[in-house]
Amino acid sequence: MTLNLCVLTPNRIVWDSEVKEIILSTNSGQIGVLPNHAPIATAVDIGILRIRLNDQWLMMALMGGFARIGNNEITVLVNDAEKSSDIDPQEAQQTLEIAEAALRKAEGKRQKIEANLALRRAKTRVEAINGIS
Amino acid sequence: MAMAALRREGRRFAPLVSSPNPINAIRSTLAPAEEQMGLGVRSISTQVVRNRMKSVRNIQKITKAMKMVAASKLRAIQVRAENSRGLWQPFTALLGDTPSVNVKKNVIVTISSDKGLCGGINSTSVKISRALHKINSGPDTECKYVILGEKGKAQLIRDSKKDIELIMTELQKNFLNYTQVSVLADDILKNVEFDALRIVFNKFQSVVSFLPTTATVLSPEIVERESEAGGKIGDLDSYEIEGGETKSEVLQNLAEFQFSCVMFNAVLENACSEQGARMSAMDSSSRNAGDMLDRLTLTYNRTRQASITTELIEIISGASALEG
Repeated sequence: MTLNLCVLTPNRIVWDSEVKEIILSTNSGQIGVLPNHAPIATAVDIGILRIRLNDQWLMMALMGGFARIGNNEITVLVNDAEKSSDIDPQEAQQTLEIAEAALRKAEGKRQKIEANLALRRAKTRVEAINGIS
Repeated sequence: MAMAALRREGRRFAPLVSSPNPINAIRSTLAPAEEQMGLGVRSISTQVVRNRMKSVRNIQKITKAMKMVAASKLRAIQVRAENSRGLWQPFTALLGDTPSVNVKKNVIVTISSDKGLCGGINSTSVKISRALHKINSGPDTECKYVILGEKGKAQLIRDSKKDIELIMTELQKNFLNYTQVSVLADDILKNVEFDALRIVFNKFQSVVSFLPTTATVLSPEIVERESEAGGKIGDLDSYEIEGGETKSEVLQNLAEFQFSCVMFNAVLENACSEQGARMSAMDSSSRNAGDMLDRLTLTYNRTRQASITTELIEIISGASALEG
């Protein structure tokens, strides 16, 4: 019994095949999904999606969205998703530094919130690459 | 006068003038034709027809070029539209698309193009929006418009001005992307009160067929009400909702996300339909121009031959008058 995972973004389909298990981060923590999970609809936070194929774990950075799990079919709809193999380590590190600098300079509630979000996104990408090792 | 005419036409009539015998027979039959044409009509009418041909030919070139431009733009945007189709399908599977829902506050989002010359797609969108408006306005329900695109605005502002909430134009100036559309969706959600949003757009079936469609997005309260009532959205209850403090908060996020995804797909599909419609409109335009050109060429040749014949008659009658 395998799960069918579908990760969709507005621009393209990032992942559409069978997996053994996934670990998803939601607003209220991380949930692991195995075959025959109960039906559940949840919001997905900015974080890492771990996918297990046989014995190998793959990481994907997700930028917030929704997930629907039911009948061994998982549909994840996010604003943006990047496989860790597609992220360039140097560039991700640079983006992280820029985001940190922007957060320090941010003034006013709105700018702080936006800078915070940008920082979390950059951190997720860096984690996705480092998580493999 | 004959020599001036000869120079104007740039032809040589010397051999014809030297044999007057056959000309007498021609003169009798062509004399009425000369009277029909009247004075000063001879070479001026060819000029007029020639000008007309030139302008029709230019128009044909322009429409051919527009067709090719539309074809290339269509190719680029078709790929993106097809990729974005997979996005709203899970929402519809979860929340259902129920156009027959009975709500108090309806908002019709009409998506149209900014530029013209794209066939009848804008008129069909406006027609459907008006029909939806009529169906949904009753004694205790209200119906408002949100218009995207210049052409829809031009048509709807004439008779439904008081019902229009929001107008947005020039969407395609910057490259269409999800961020832009989600900001737009945010705008609409903040400024317009609604129970149900009906998005009217032209779905791109193929290069020659565009179907006007409506997609219905319900507000979270209505979703809760319908899911408790059972029916199509009843399946929602079988899903346990996680993430967030309360079920209604998650439902609200879900509804907003659904709206922006559906809007993104609708805008892309409409853009595809616009380019496809423009392609076929320009194609039939070029073909019409070609037909017109053929007819004008025939008229031109006839006019030209008639004027040559008139010149001939004049010369020959002048020559025979000289002889005695």
